[in-house]
Amino acid sequence: MITGLGVIAPNGIGKEDFWSALKEGRSGIKPVTRFDTSAFKCKLAGEIDDFQPTLFLGHKGLRDHERTARLLCSAAKLAIEDAKLKIDHDNTDDIGVCTGTTWSALWNIAQFGKELIEDGPLFTNASLFPAMVINAASSQVSIRFNIQGFNTTISTGYSSSIDALKYAIDFIRIGRIKAVLVGAVDSLSLSNFLGFYRLGFFAGINGPEVSCPFDKRRNGIILGEGAAVIIVEDEEYAKERKANIYAEVKDIGNCFDAYKMGRYEPGAKGLKESIKMAIRNSELNIADIDYIGASANSVPEQDRLETKAIKDVFGKYAYNIPVSSIKSMIGETFSAGGLFQIAASIGSMYCGFIPPTINYQEKDDDCDLDYVANKSRITRINNVLINNYGPGGSNASLVLSKYN
Amino acid sequence: MANNFEEEIRQLISNITEVPIEKLTLDADFFNDLNIDSLKAIEIVAAFEKKYRIIIPEQDIPKIRNLRKIIEYTVFPK
Repeated sequence: MITGLGVIAPNGIGKEDFWSALKEGRSGIKPVTRFDTSAFKCKLAGEIDDFQPTLFLGHKGLRDHERTARLLCSAAKLAIEDAKLKIDHDNTDDIGVCTGTTWSALWNIAQFGKELIEDGPLFTNASLFPAMVINAASSQVSIRFNIQGFNTTISTGYSSSIDALKYAIDFIRIGRIKAVLVGAVDSLSLSNFLGFYRLGFFAGINGPEVSCPFDKRRNGIILGEGAAVIIVEDEEYAKERKANIYAEVKDIGNCFDAYKMGRYEPGAKGLKESIKMAIRNSELNIADIDYIGASANSVPEQDRLETKAIKDVFGKYAYNIPVSSIKSMIGETFSAGGLFQIAASIGSMYCGFIPPTINYQEKDDDCDLDYVANKSRITRINNVLINNYGPGGSNASLVLSKYN
Repeated sequence: MANNFEEEIRQLISNITEVPIEKLTLDADFFNDLNIDSLKAIEIVAAFEKKYRIIIPEQDIPKIRNLRKIIEYTVFPK
């Protein structure tokens, strides 16, 4: 059961802000301010330029937190407050932290390397090193909120969010933990911006610089950043403490393509398998799905293959289900994508709307489903299918249901 | 000259440890009085070495427990 939610997104800080941005179709994509992009053809990103960690975390101790840790801890604070979860020595062993992040403190790693080269090994600041490990951000959450159950970092790229959630619910199901802070985060830095740019993965190199999933003009991603944390609890525990329950995680399907590094499996086999697994294990029918939160991110192959996978699994019924991608508004946030999609779906369930796929102007014959173009749609949502996948090979799908 | 140097080091330690400058007296013990842990101590030494381009031998580090000791060490290096 999901009982709390904290969001720090490119188009909204805090769940209310995020939900209203999605409802209005407001994009968080704008020119990058954090570093100089004059040498590049691409200038845009989903940067959170108004993020002030001291508002959430105070001043003390922040010095050792790299941006990823700051984003994650801030989102965790919002989620804990939202769930009204009191953490003390009675329950600290029954609460865990599971975080999806793939780049984590990549910027620290780059900084360390830079100092090593510029100043030499004797003058490289050793204190950068502890914050360089991939689990630094996740660990800071446990330290800050004194959470003594398990702490794990899952770094499976595009599907990190849902994979992290699966890890957590498996632990809850076997009775090993009562509640888990499931979070996901990736932050924008020159390192990952440059990396994707040099791989030619960005929009704006061979076409317009816009995040337009499913649109004929799509030609690459616009990178985004952010963190989202949900509190997931065992149903009995949640009821015992009279928690407000948003939604139930019905089930998750995940699998790996084992095709080629950085290439899409041509038949989207892994994604189809994940979708089928998720729906089958949820004991729902395809007709029960009210909305599909897509992983489409404006990459030609990605959007086409997701459309194909949906059509192959749902058959003709695919044309009756609204599908939209919030990445049109927040960009490709990589590991955090899935958690943002979950946060958006909870908003859909409680505010009664489906977020739009914005920037949709030109129809593509390969992508012919109902993508809720440009304007959000007012409607009742109970069951959502959320997909997470990318050319890394990892695929995950989740079915989320509104709690009655 | 010495005064400026003292202020510089005080500022450096204050930035790293987030201890306000007023609390960083010449004799306040880093570990016992100011609650600075060993990792922070390493960071202070590293920042110091980088700024003044000197290497402090490992065996000397435990002797430097307060601001006075750092200043003495730098002004009268052995």
